[in-house]
Amino acid sequence: MSVLARSVGNAFRNKVRTAAVVAVLAVAIGLALAMLVANQAVGAKVQELNASVGTVLTVNPAGGQGFEGGGEPLTAAQAATAAAVPNVSAVVGTSSLRLRNAAAAAAQAAQTAQTGQGGPGNQTGQAGPGGQAAATLTTSLTAAVDAGTLGNRNQQANGTTGSTGTTRQPVRSLPITATGIGAEVDTTGKGLNITQGTGLGDYSAASTGALLGTTLAEKNNLSIGSTFTINDQTYTVTGLFDAGTAFGNNAVYITLPTAQTLAGTPGELSSMIVTVNSMDNVAAAKTALQAALGSDKADVTQGQNLQTAVSSLDSVKNISFIAFIAALGTAGLIILLIMVMLVRERRREIGVLKAIGAPNRTIGLQFVLEALVLAALGSAFGAAIASFASNGIASALISSNTSTGAATTGRGFPGGAGGAFQGGQRGPFGGASQLLNSVTASASPGVIAGGIAAVFGVAIIGALVPALLTARIRPIEVLRGE
Amino acid sequence: MIEVKNLVRTFNSGDRTIKPVNDVSFVLEQGTLASIVGKSGSGKSTLLSLLGALDKPTSGDVVVDGVSLASLPDSKLTEYRRRDIGFVFQQFNLIPNLSAVDNVMLPMEFAGVRKASRLERAKELLEQVQLDPSKHDRRINRLSGGEQQRVAIARALANEPKLILADEPTGNLDEQTGDHIIELLSSLSRDHNTTILVVTHDRVLANKTDRRFRLQQGKLTEEPARERAVAATA
Ligand SMILES: Nc1ncnc2c1ncn2[C@@H]1O[C@H](COP(=O)(O)OP(=O)(O)OP(=O)(O)O)[C@@H](O)[C@H]1O
Ligand SMILES: [Mg+2]
Repeated sequence: MSVLARSVGNAFRNKVRTAAVVAVLAVAIGLALAMLVANQAVGAKVQELNASVGTVLTVNPAGGQGFEGGGEPLTAAQAATAAAVPNVSAVVGTSSLRLRNAAAAAAQAAQTAQTGQGGPGNQTGQAGPGGQAAATLTTSLTAAVDAGTLGNRNQQANGTTGSTGTTRQPVRSLPITATGIGAEVDTTGKGLNITQGTGLGDYSAASTGALLGTTLAEKNNLSIGSTFTINDQTYTVTGLFDAGTAFGNNAVYITLPTAQTLAGTPGELSSMIVTVNSMDNVAAAKTALQAALGSDKADVTQGQNLQTAVSSLDSVKNISFIAFIAALGTAGLIILLIMVMLVRERRREIGVLKAIGAPNRTIGLQFVLEALVLAALGSAFGAAIASFASNGIASALISSNTSTGAATTGRGFPGGAGGAFQGGQRGPFGGASQLLNSVTASASPGVIAGGIAAVFGVAIIGALVPALLTARIRPIEVLRGE
Repeated sequence: MIEVKNLVRTFNSGDRTIKPVNDVSFVLEQGTLASIVGKSGSGKSTLLSLLGALDKPTSGDVVVDGVSLASLPDSKLTEYRRRDIGFVFQQFNLIPNLSAVDNVMLPMEFAGVRKASRLERAKELLEQVQLDPSKHDRRINRLSGGEQQRVAIARALANEPKLILADEPTGNLDEQTGDHIIELLSSLSRDHNTTILVVTHDRVLANKTDRRFRLQQGKLTEEPARERAVAATA
């Protein structure tokens, strides 16, 4: 019989109590681990976002922030100017179109005329950057984002969900974003993740090919080779992409010249996506670019849309870290208290061990090991709890921290258009909550192992105090009555 | 050799001060089998705890083979208890959730004896105290009082101490088993030169010892020596 065997035996001496202690510990440890997992997941996301926007600058027409038609549109000449700025490695022009389902647009126009409420031309609440009015065109596509779920109360008051039903068309459906792009990138400059089919080939030439977001394609039962119309012109789906967010997937990409033709604004750009050759040069390039284009002509922003999201996620990261530490401390405290109790309870027995010559360190070690047995059991059950709960906890943390804050769009919503948007649609487009879907807090073994190591560290600290208390118990305790 | 010099232990209970050990002095040569008798509450257990370094005297000293216990630090006292003392407690004080064998092995574990030899010796000792082999692996709290008492005696013998302090070691035993234990203890003092001090209410046991002391109101008096052979046949 070794010290370890004795400690394990002692841990199970009172089975009911051990079960109760392990249950409480498991909850604390499970919470700690879930918080750690959430922390890591959000941290990874923040890093990913920072990396993705890190070297990308967005250029919009000056004075356009939040207002329709503020400023002159950007031109191809400005794109050339931007490309000539030192350290700029690529300039991609985009031209944004707002597509409305033809039937829905007609229905809404009728209703607006009656009630005088909202409707096209209402310019409040434009969230996205960009001052140029995007052209609104009609399409055969139906939006994949259900307006009813996006918190547009006006919409809900009208009693429709915006996308259901074939007999009753929604009074207001959400627009679909169609963006003409000069390269195979999305509106944040990130390479498009084409999941099916192929890209558009030459993005600088007119073509009738189009890339659809996965959910938009699904919603409209379209697949590679299917066709749809924009302003009565037929387009063919060449590929599907996954932008990672519901909003990002409710979009169509066509080549830049095609979009410019559709909008009737050849040579004009809604925005430019400027990629800088390295992270270190971004600040300098931004200043140079702003100077080259002139601040009265263009606004240069650095991943601004995601900045709010990143800072929201950062606060989630901090909160989850604090919660991790708190839960860890709680686990340590539970161990401390239970061990103090055990030491008091076994005073006499400790006296016996001393009376027959056990050194203090042997007795102390025995109690520390016993605490570790409890911690190990608590960790095993806690890890199980964490692996089930961490995703829910991460989601809850993110949504509670970002539901009101971020007013910017997650994906560089081609802004400016008065269009059909009413105010109040910022929430659902709020950067961080859009990103919620893409933060998967899966309990990676490495993180769990690290968390459990921390639990053991805390358990040792928690057990050390009572173990040191045993050193003060005198062997004469053995003669005291129970 | 153990020399007890003017040993005093007082307790404060409420406003009264009691002196269960009040200026006790005596010397025991190595290998002596001695007994202490006295009324309940006369201080016998208190005296043994002082000799076994479980407790510290209010004044006076115990000198074991020339080493004064009063001068030793706690770590040395622990070593003294582990190596030199075998204590049989009045209440046995075994570890209840361990088996008989595990209890006997404990002092050897603390002394760093190898596991295999610990087990062997523990079984041997339990046989010496006549504990049925079927009960060697039984947990203490499933043994009878007399069985526990014998496990306690076996544990006290584990590290071959030079001084055995036994507090009523036959109190829970039937006459025959008690006689066997007495025989075991006297053979240890005879053959292994172990000094043994037994507290007992049992006159028969007391009469079989080399020296007999009586503790009364904190004072120790020695009763006239008797021939061991005579006592053994009495
Ligand atoms: N820690 C203590 N505090 C106060 N009084 C104590 C303490 N320990 C023992 N006593 C008292 O000292 C006296 C002697 O106790 P002790 O246990 O030595 O008696 P004993 O001779 O062994 O009795 P018994 O034959 O019943 O075992 C008793 O009156 C007891 O109440
Ligand atoms: Mg007593």
